[in-house]
Amino acid sequence: MNLLFDIANVLLPEAFLSILIILCIILTFVLKEENQNLVFAAALTGLILTLFSFIFIPFSQENQALYGNFVSNSFTIIFRILILIGTILTVMLSRRYTSNFSNSIGEFYTLILIATLGGMLLTGANDLIMLFVAIETLSISSFALCGYTKLDKLSNEAALKYLIIGAASTAVMLYGFSFLYGITGQTNIADIIKVLPNYQPSIVLILSFLFILAGFGYKLSAVPFHVWAPDVYQGAPIPVAAYLSVVSKIAGFAALTRFMTLIYSDISIFTVAIAVIAVLTMTVGNLMALGQKNIRRLMAYSSIAQAGYVLLGLSVLTIEGVSGIIFYLIAYLFMNFGTWAAIQIFATETGMDSIDDYNGLAYKNKYFSLCLAICLLSLAGIPFTSGFFAKFYLFKAIAFAGLNYMPLLIIALVNTVLGVFYYVKVIRAMYVRTNNGTAKQNGKLKISLSLQSVLVVTVLTTLLIGVFAGSFIDISKFAAKSITINKKSPVESFSDISSFIR
Amino acid sequence: MKFLSIILLVLLPAIGSIILFGPWFPHNEVKIRRFAKGWAGLVFLYSLLFVVFFNPAQAGFQFEQVLKSPGGKAWIQPLGINFAFSIDGISLPLIVLTTFLVLLALIASKYNITKRHKLYYALIFVLETAILGVFAAKDLFVFFLFWEIELIPMYFLISIWGSGRKEYSAMKFILYTFIGSIFMLASILAIYFYHYIYTGVLTFDLGVYTSLKSYSYPLMFSILTFWGFFIAFAVKIPVVPFHTWLPDAHVDAPTPISMLLAGILLKMGGYGLIRMNMQILPEAIKVLAPILIIMGVINIIYTACIALVQEDLKKLIAYSSISHMGIVLLGIGALNAAGVSGALFQMIAHGIISAGLFMIVGVIYLRTHTRNISVLGGLGQNSPRFMWFSLTIVLASVGLPLLIGFAAETLAFYGAFTSTVFNSFSLFGWYIPVSIQVLTAIGIFGIILTAAYLLWMFQKVFYGNILNKWKSFHDVTPHEVAVLLSLILVIVVFGFYPQGLAKIFTPTVNNIVNII
Repeated sequence: MNLLFDIANVLLPEAFLSILIILCIILTFVLKEENQNLVFAAALTGLILTLFSFIFIPFSQENQALYGNFVSNSFTIIFRILILIGTILTVMLSRRYTSNFSNSIGEFYTLILIATLGGMLLTGANDLIMLFVAIETLSISSFALCGYTKLDKLSNEAALKYLIIGAASTAVMLYGFSFLYGITGQTNIADIIKVLPNYQPSIVLILSFLFILAGFGYKLSAVPFHVWAPDVYQGAPIPVAAYLSVVSKIAGFAALTRFMTLIYSDISIFTVAIAVIAVLTMTVGNLMALGQKNIRRLMAYSSIAQAGYVLLGLSVLTIEGVSGIIFYLIAYLFMNFGTWAAIQIFATETGMDSIDDYNGLAYKNKYFSLCLAICLLSLAGIPFTSGFFAKFYLFKAIAFAGLNYMPLLIIALVNTVLGVFYYVKVIRAMYVRTNNGTAKQNGKLKISLSLQSVLVVTVLTTLLIGVFAGSFIDISKFAAKSITINKKSPVESFSDISSFIR
Repeated sequence: MKFLSIILLVLLPAIGSIILFGPWFPHNEVKIRRFAKGWAGLVFLYSLLFVVFFNPAQAGFQFEQVLKSPGGKAWIQPLGINFAFSIDGISLPLIVLTTFLVLLALIASKYNITKRHKLYYALIFVLETAILGVFAAKDLFVFFLFWEIELIPMYFLISIWGSGRKEYSAMKFILYTFIGSIFMLASILAIYFYHYIYTGVLTFDLGVYTSLKSYSYPLMFSILTFWGFFIAFAVKIPVVPFHTWLPDAHVDAPTPISMLLAGILLKMGGYGLIRMNMQILPEAIKVLAPILIIMGVINIIYTACIALVQEDLKKLIAYSSISHMGIVLLGIGALNAAGVSGALFQMIAHGIISAGLFMIVGVIYLRTHTRNISVLGGLGQNSPRFMWFSLTIVLASVGLPLLIGFAAETLAFYGAFTSTVFNSFSLFGWYIPVSIQVLTAIGIFGIILTAAYLLWMFQKVFYGNILNKWKSFHDVTPHEVAVLLSLILVIVVFGFYPQGLAKIFTPTVNNIVNII
């Protein structure tokens, strides 16, 4: 009875998704190779149905399921919706890509769905064990997806690199969990919060924090743990790279935000650590991106830098900051996916992914170039795109956290200048330069329907958020409200800040 | 006056750009150019209507218009951002200058632009919308938004249709401006936050910040915020250590874009300095005005000296342009009605004159394909009409009485001469033996330098016997006559009757100066 109640109230989308996965596995085995594309249709319709199932979940109240192992509130719901939308886009992005390989099309979609299930469970996981299981479900499916093009050397390298670094960092994370368990004797986060205040902060707690941060840092490709990202993004199939850079990161951010706000919000050294990592992440990401010649490596470093901005929102540890994170991730999902879709379109038509190959693209492909340019400008944070408001709202949250966060704000702002430099480089290649005539991109690109719709949807949404940002900010504010920040002395009280300024 | 919608004025060029860029518009060069000119003329006429119905006696904002959702909500309600526009005496002349110069630049584009017409005219209209948005914004956030938007069309206009190291120059332009604007963003967020703490209201409304506030900023906060704004505007004006992007951008940009760059874009900096630094942060500008004056004098003299040794015609004009913008800085630093009016007048005068000078360079370059002064000579023999037009514009730039430049410079220097900002000026408690009169005198010396390099240039290029290789140099075509003559018309009209222009902004300027 209890389980049924849980499913109806909390885990309905996850239940749908599980059924869908089983269905896809069966279809993969039953169908002949030439009919395997039916799995795509099944996955897509199933995912859209799953998205609609969120209607039946109570949005504004907090519910627990599986004996307190999983929490559903507006914060986790918005992240689960984002993950699902990302997955739908990934599946649509893969349609054209999978038609290139002769066998095992069905498994590709199934693996994506399994990874998504892991990601959705990760957002609301309220137990250390649950968290670990979820993160492993997400990771292990991703390892397999990275190496999906068996005969491609780069893809193999990507899979191996991702596997080794991933396994190592999850192990470190597990070690961190064991410290936390050792201190409190509990695995449920709600219980840990109750016990933790009695415990005097010590080196063990700091160690547990650092180890857990290492695990999450790997998922978010935050800077000391980012080395896998460029190689994986370059080698993995493009839909998988898009998936890793968007969906996997969103899931990681959801879990890290809950972890930070619930357990580690008390001691200021932790937020300082997050701030240091944020600054390192965006600076290193932006600086490394400056010299990249390959667009996929450029996007890898770009997404590292974007993760840095989001981490900055976490480092202030206010409700404002959390809602800034949510809004940034909403914008990031669409603008980054649009860029990856454009890269995928270009790569399937020409088989090239160097920035110089984009030279003169705008002459023949006016609308395609415009779409890619809008996505890139949005990533750079130019007005009337979602990226501008995302950055602005995040920076506003940092400014409102107090004047002692001003240096962080300045560093972030300087970083946006670096960002403009390399995003404009791609746009310059398309619009300003002329191609030498030898390349294949002379002609008009033929874009399949599914890819076209991904590109159009993402670009339109990017522009839509860029013009009507107000309602999206309201949504993220509402979602952020369900996060409780366990600070003993709230810094963001009215009198406190004004006395500081005087 | 329901038909005067300021939002429509701002968005009208953007609508034109969409009409032009869409697939429905034919790829016919003549049709595109004709439509663009017609549309720009329409925008210009519409902006003239605002002059007609503007009430010059009234200080403060007029024609205010705010875009609201059907539910009465602001544009971005959670952050207190309104899509609000308004015009006052400071912005009105600049708005008309913008629509006027864009029209002239489009007419001048006929011979200079030979490829990708659709994109070119569409981008010019986007640029016009952005600049109009900056001048007309009554919301700090909207101001910043349009300030950033302006980068994109300008980048493409320089890098696609430019010459020489166009990609480098365009990138330099975009990076300089962007670096400036991030400091402005930090300052905007700071005063926004400060307002929120003291009143509990989230708002970006310029009207709130520029009028007398119920609280005052602490001096340190005010000064830091001042510098944040100042860097953004100093890059645009440009003020000397931040000026290196301008000669590059000018040299590599096509002629119409140079006209717009010198004519309007630099004015965004001066406008911002008056609007933000002066109106929002009067505490800081009172302390820092001497520094503005010193920077202004350095601007005038230093860049004039650089202009003296230039061989490249366009570089010479570019440096002369920076030198003249120094007068704007000097006038603003004077902090009295005459100085600020002079600065505003100089902005208009410089907008008209520098556009004319760049047009002259463009005409010469089109026929000779060189901008090197030493290989030119005697062009006046073949093109007497062109020489007379050029002479008028050059003399206006030098500051000959009864031309527009004279009125502007006299006002600004008079303001600086009678200014009192140095009275309480001391550095770390040390009395500095520097007087405003001496500084102004040094600044006025810049006019002599201007005369030196401009007249020397004019003599080298137009006088003497024509060289053999320029025998085929022909006189100005009707298009060029139209552009040059309309500029000269403005120069002469406001040279004879400066009151006509001053009448518009005097009440507003007096209001600003009284607040300080």
